Amino acid sequence: MEFVDIIFNILTMGLPCCLLALGIFLTYRLLDFADLTAEGSFMLGAAICGVMIYNGINPWLATLAGIAIGFLCGTITGCLNRVLKVPKLLSGIITMTASTAIAYIIFGMQNGYPKAFGQSVDFGVTYGGAQQTIFSLLYPWKYSVDLDMYIVPAIWGDVIKILVMFGVVAVVMIGIYFFFGTQYGMAIRATGMNESMARAQGINTNVSSIICVGISNALISLAGALFVQSMQNASVTSAQGYLVVGLASIIIGESIFGKRSFKNWIISVALGAIMYYIIINVAIRLGLPGELMSLLYASLIVVALCLPLIKGIIKKRIKERRNRLEEEG
Amino acid sequence: MLELLHVTKSFNLTGAAEDERIALDNVSLQIHPGEFVTIIGGNGSGKSTTLNIVSGSLIPDKGKVLLNGFDVSKIPEYKRAAYFGRVFQDPMKGTAAEMSVLENLEIAYVRGRTHSPIKWGFSSSHKKYFSEELKRFGLGLEDRLNQKVGVMSGGQRQALTLLMATMRQRPSEKVIKRDYVRFCEGNKEKAKVEVETAFELAKENRKNALLRVKKLPKEQRKARVEEIKAAYESEISKFDLTKQILLLDEHTAALDPKTARKVLELTNKAVRDNHITTLMVTHNMKDALTYGDRLIMFHLGHIILDVSGEEKDKLSVEDLLKMFEEADKKAEQ
Repeated sequence: MEFVDIIFNILTMGLPCCLLALGIFLTYRLLDFADLTAEGSFMLGAAICGVMIYNGINPWLATLAGIAIGFLCGTITGCLNRVLKVPKLLSGIITMTASTAIAYIIFGMQNGYPKAFGQSVDFGVTYGGAQQTIFSLLYPWKYSVDLDMYIVPAIWGDVIKILVMFGVVAVVMIGIYFFFGTQYGMAIRATGMNESMARAQGINTNVSSIICVGISNALISLAGALFVQSMQNASVTSAQGYLVVGLASIIIGESIFGKRSFKNWIISVALGAIMYYIIINVAIRLGLPGELMSLLYASLIVVALCLPLIKGIIKKRIKERRNRLEEEG
Repeated sequence: MLELLHVTKSFNLTGAAEDERIALDNVSLQIHPGEFVTIIGGNGSGKSTTLNIVSGSLIPDKGKVLLNGFDVSKIPEYKRAAYFGRVFQDPMKGTAAEMSVLENLEIAYVRGRTHSPIKWGFSSSHKKYFSEELKRFGLGLEDRLNQKVGVMSGGQRQALTLLMATMRQRPSEKVIKRDYVRFCEGNKEKAKVEVETAFELAKENRKNALLRVKKLPKEQRKARVEEIKAAYESEISKFDLTKQILLLDEHTAALDPKTARKVLELTNKAVRDNHITTLMVTHNMKDALTYGDRLIMFHLGHIILDVSGEEKDKLSVEDLLKMFEEADKKAEQ
């Protein structure tokens, strides 16, 4: 049973982070834009969605609001960089700082007005309080009025959660694949690769980069919205540090699963997030103290970055050995 | 016709008055449709600045750029790309390295139209057209459509950029109408009425013809529909005044001599076959004399020589060198 627990743990954390990694991938890889807004838009997505749900608003609407706020953050970063000519890194930092401050305020708005700054939003899935998540809306089970909760058989609540999140991730991946195959999608990719070529081919590179940063952050805050609903709890501290998670996922995914074609690349990035949580979970089960977690993150990134080099050396060795064997007959 | 009117451009990196460097000083230039102009000059003489001002990468301090009498100075670079195809000195600059040959060509093909967020970026009919065009280059690129451009040699990349700069889909009907009025000489109102009525007529004809097709037996229908479409296209294309202008900025400078020759031959062929108005900046005086039908020499932001036809044919590399030295001496005094 413990094994099943680990797998569920990995998937409930990993699937929202697939979206996070895909979002960061759009700016970091396709647009060549190290966008630090991700940290802020993830937090804001979680804050808006969580607090709206806490205050009894339809979870689908809350999720949409989360996506919208991410898109807004992205466009602001894009405009700072493209219109006001603030350097890329700096414009990301500006939006990140501002949106963290706003997230503090929003987390405090649990009764409709700012109550206390920076507290955590915490909601159980109840019917009477109308606190539902997009997962509980799909529960086929009976709602017990006496207990004011759903009677969910053992792990099946998690199964629904995972299935829904998997569906969202799949839809997003297919969407990304098709959008970046359209004329405009190709124009965005060209903007990231070679801006002078893109402009010479009649692409308004300002608009295309702003749109790409916007879409990227919309995905990231969707990840935040799913994260808060899956945990039924979030705070400024618990939604912190996800930029590093996303970046690590991209690097791990790329070095393990490759980036031969665009399709392969998207799948690698998404699998990278799952891979990341597998490693983290294994480390925890092996008894790694929580304080050393950051050390593990750092070494993970280094190892992932070195992996292609190691792969190359191993391939070379194998080839040499094969050649030697052939020579010997 | 492409015109530069009293264009002045200076660069100043530090903001201090003594650091100001004048790249172009009150330059006026007229280039007629179909002309192949070669531009030479020393470093910092203003030849590349001229191209960048024409294409819109640089905004002139003073003066105007006119296309058929219409002032394009205020139109941003990406919009101007509809009228200008460009090949850069750096082979890396003209193509997206991590995209395939096909993807690069597809992006270039939509130049001057809006890149649609719904339309799929690839089409099999385009693919056929591209491979036919590439076959004419004789570099074997037509078999490598799905390879990434990054793995190709500088010469192949420049040849590809050349094709990207010279071909494009016809603009949308709205754009054709707008540009016909914009670039026509004479009465604008009259031109507007003229193009509107011609388009209406073409559409009416197409509609009637398509109605008649329905009466034909099935097997003839498809061919007939294609015919009608082609007729409509040619009718519309008559009003497409915006013939491409090709801007080549030392596009063979980074290539080895043999490849440079090959790319130049391809350029010459493409320009002559399609009667493209071309501005070619080069450092190689021999190339400047061999190719093109007009030669312009820049020196310290001024045009010091502008010859064409027989006069140009009589010139030799020695003559040009002498002129350079004289200009230098004059400047020192």
